[in-house]
Amino acid sequence: MRTVGLAIAASYGAFIVWMYVRQPQSVAEVTGGLTASLGAYHIDQRSFDEGLRYFRNDQFTAARLAFDRADPGHQDARTRFYIAYAFYREGWGRLYHDDMLFARGLEAVDEAIALDPRGILVIEDPDLALRSPGELKGELEAGLRSDASDLNPFSAFQRRK
Amino acid sequence: MSVAFEAFYLPLIMLTVTLLGGLRVAGRVILMPPPLFTLVLAMLLLGILVRSGALAPERLMSAARSPAANLNGLVVLIATFLASAQAFNLATPESGLPRLLFSVFLFILLLNTMAASSDRIRTLRSLAVTFGSAFVLKFIVLAAISDPVGGRLKRILLVMLEGLTLGTLTQDTFHPITGYLAFFTFVLFVVGVSLLPGRAVPSDVLRLRSHS
Repeated sequence: MRTVGLAIAASYGAFIVWMYVRQPQSVAEVTGGLTASLGAYHIDQRSFDEGLRYFRNDQFTAARLAFDRADPGHQDARTRFYIAYAFYREGWGRLYHDDMLFARGLEAVDEAIALDPRGILVIEDPDLALRSPGELKGELEAGLRSDASDLNPFSAFQRRK
Repeated sequence: MSVAFEAFYLPLIMLTVTLLGGLRVAGRVILMPPPLFTLVLAMLLLGILVRSGALAPERLMSAARSPAANLNGLVVLIATFLASAQAFNLATPESGLPRLLFSVFLFILLLNTMAASSDRIRTLRSLAVTFGSAFVLKFIVLAAISDPVGGRLKRILLVMLEGLTLGTLTQDTFHPITGYLAFFTFVLFVVGVSLLPGRAVPSDVLRLRSHS
């Protein structure tokens, strides 16, 4: 009985430490995080495919909603990457970028990077010019930066990646 | 104290207080780890509990107990320490002058309780009053002052605090559920502390002897 008590207290203590470190924002994130730590987390593939379809049709809000449905626990780096990419593409403008969307994209790509600490995630998608979270983060940060290059008239000829 | 109490109920109660003590619900859910000063307050509180007989560490860890029993006792002690730190974290305002005043007030109050060398019942009563007062001040009075909309209580408090710059008092506003959770956490903590194995008082010893 004492051993069982010790095991329960140790598990509960570990759960509390995990909660304080990860700061989950919803029950879905808590359950997602716990199942991911046991290696049992899976995204909803149907919602992911749906999100991808919306993403390729430039329906970014619908795409993000579908991706969020696919990964309610915020545990899948690939889905977070696509959400960040949706923010990037929606916020990108030939003359100026939407800073709010870029900032939210940066948050999402940071989540993807945190979920892929070894940096091995590369998205093999011919539709994307930026294939890794690092590249996307660089692009988003560059978009948020205000410097002399913003005044370069040739930047209007840049293409969305 | 039964084995179930020591192995299950007490650690679970104290760990729940540890979890909920840092919980704040604003726009998002925040879990605040205990600041360093609350660790000092928690250590002082443990000292008070031992001195008053509300906690008898020898009933949790001693050479006469089995290794598993001692481990259970250690878990109870650690969980009580962490729960105390988080209870103080919950009782202290998050910023500004109120945070400083509450910290100093709690520190002096604990030193005073320690110097008074009161018994178990008085110490538990004092603990309930301390956390009850802190709850009222933080989650009712300060919350009313910090409420951007404001109600009748805010208007009364503003009249009472006329001439004082409110910028030094106002706090971040939390969702009302934070107050309800805080109340539950304080009650759970006081219940948990009152369930800790205490030192047997002379009347208990006499009763035990008469039974034997």
